[in-house]
Amino acid sequence: MPPVVDKEKCVKCGLCAQICPLDVIKIEVEKQDKKIVVKYPDECWHCRACAIDCPKQAIQLRYPLSHMMLHMEAPNTERGEQSCK
Amino acid sequence: MQVKIRKDIVKTDVLIIGGGIAGMQAAITAAENGSNVVVAEKADTRRSGCGATGNDHFMCYIPEYHGEDFNEIIREVTETLVGPLQDLNLLRLMMKRSFELVQKWESYGISMRPTGEWSFMGHAMPGRRRYHLKYDGHNQKPLLTKEALRQGAKIMNKMVMSELLTNEEGHVVGAIGVNIADDVPEVVVFQAKSVIISTGGALRLYPGLNPAYPFNVANCPADTGSGPAMAYRAGARLVNLEMPYVHSGPKFFARAGKATWIGVLTDFHGKPVGPFVTQPTRELGDVTADIWQGVFQEKMENGTGPVYMNCSKTSNDDMEYMMKAFVSEGDTSLVDYFEQYDIDLHKKMVEFGTFEYNFTARGLDIDLDGGTTLPGLYAAGNTTGNVRGDITSAAVFGHVSAESASKYAKQVKDYDVSDHPLIAEKIQLFNAILGRETGAHWKEANSMLQQIMKDYVGMKIRSETLLKAGLKYLGDLKRYSREQLKADNSHELMRVLEVLDLIDMGEAVAITSENRKESRGSCHQRSDYTFTNPLLNNKFQTIERTKHGIVADFREKNR
Repeated sequence: MPPVVDKEKCVKCGLCAQICPLDVIKIEVEKQDKKIVVKYPDECWHCRACAIDCPKQAIQLRYPLSHMMLHMEAPNTERGEQSCK
Repeated sequence: MQVKIRKDIVKTDVLIIGGGIAGMQAAITAAENGSNVVVAEKADTRRSGCGATGNDHFMCYIPEYHGEDFNEIIREVTETLVGPLQDLNLLRLMMKRSFELVQKWESYGISMRPTGEWSFMGHAMPGRRRYHLKYDGHNQKPLLTKEALRQGAKIMNKMVMSELLTNEEGHVVGAIGVNIADDVPEVVVFQAKSVIISTGGALRLYPGLNPAYPFNVANCPADTGSGPAMAYRAGARLVNLEMPYVHSGPKFFARAGKATWIGVLTDFHGKPVGPFVTQPTRELGDVTADIWQGVFQEKMENGTGPVYMNCSKTSNDDMEYMMKAFVSEGDTSLVDYFEQYDIDLHKKMVEFGTFEYNFTARGLDIDLDGGTTLPGLYAAGNTTGNVRGDITSAAVFGHVSAESASKYAKQVKDYDVSDHPLIAEKIQLFNAILGRETGAHWKEANSMLQQIMKDYVGMKIRSETLLKAGLKYLGDLKRYSREQLKADNSHELMRVLEVLDLIDMGEAVAITSENRKESRGSCHQRSDYTFTNPLLNNKFQTIERTKHGIVADFREKNR
């Protein structure tokens, strides 16, 4: 679930739901109780607009394993050394 | 569920469809020119489109910086990043007016010279002039929105546009949209003297790096070719669809901003794959992938891959500069990812991959006024098919198209669209989609579309039999989709409409690919026409719907 909302910090202002470019986050109202719901997590673009603009810094992104960034030890990590073989 | 219908028609001089960079610049300029302006944006203009959270390179010619030799800069542009698929008269106009737009952006509060002076970095070859102004665009969208509102433009967020309205003479006079702010969608009819399309490129047509996750793409996955698709249905001419665009970047976390990286593209052993740099600096990252766009895929396929972005020799200063630039570029997720997964770029190299085919700067055929072939219809930004330049193109042609659209709007009378037959037709379609108890989810259709495009409309090879079979299958998919797709709420209706637009785009790609009876570049390889026909060297292929049917034809490239 890419955006993860910290329920302790969230003041349910709804800005994240309003600005999400992919309409991933919704406000659901149940018995006058407002809930911020990450309703369409697999449609997240990971742009972090929600995290950047949250006035309470209540949102973090979790990067799913489907989006794993492949990386490898660089062969010559001593900088300044000619790496061409 | 059935749609609600807004009673009042929204009437305006200039309707802008899509509130990305091009759309917001158009809104500002049209309002400055005294027009009533409405922006219809499917998300929220403060954070929507490819520039949602930022950009850091603005192609720009500044006479006081570059000197008077404008042609030298034009030569650099055509030989490095941008490639051959553009009318040179549009490119010249774009670069001529680029500085004017940079100055406007600065006046809106966007940091165009974060170091205090004009600074041109990256996307360049060693020893050559640089033309990418390095700026800090992390808050460009909120600032463009603020300026548009200050100038009096009206912004309607959460408004998904679905169809253009034309009059008897084929002039564009309005549009139909769906407000998705609530769970129950609301149909809104627009009456406009002129319309500017600025909906960005078309993503999600071809499968991405990891096809199971179609939103894992570098450009904004909300951009689904809806602007060009509705314009095509209304009779506007599209161009260069059979020659798709490919971008590259981190694998499997698709992000744009490859030139923000300051590193060398190396193989597994740390040996550079291109001839340009061994010691990367902020002035010169590795331009190899700008010029050899398929490098990552080609080297995987011939077994000499993988290829890595290797920043191990980047200086500490440049590394810090790069991390800040990722934030300017809107790639805070890269920085966040490095932190979460403890990736130190001085020690680790990140594999790069070739991303999926997309339609960035393939689409509407525009003239020097930003006009399409339909009177009253203009286009700007990544949705246009015959000029590109990313931020610059969006800003300059947003501005140019708005100047033209405002002028046009002052010359034409209102056309009453209230009884337009398309309105009832669209409402019927929306209600059919919303009314189905059982049916197909949009993801089924989107994944089948990507599969057909990949196998029959060529990632590898094209031929008459493959393309004609593909076109037939796309037709079937379109019919089944219209008969079966269902939506339970506004959000799902938006996704259904996006897929229907993408299928229309896919058909146009298949038709033009079949009609280009030659091989050209790496994106259009025909097994039945393996040669490159020199007679087509300076021609672009166009496609449009006429009263005689769909016509695909070649036109001269403008010089």
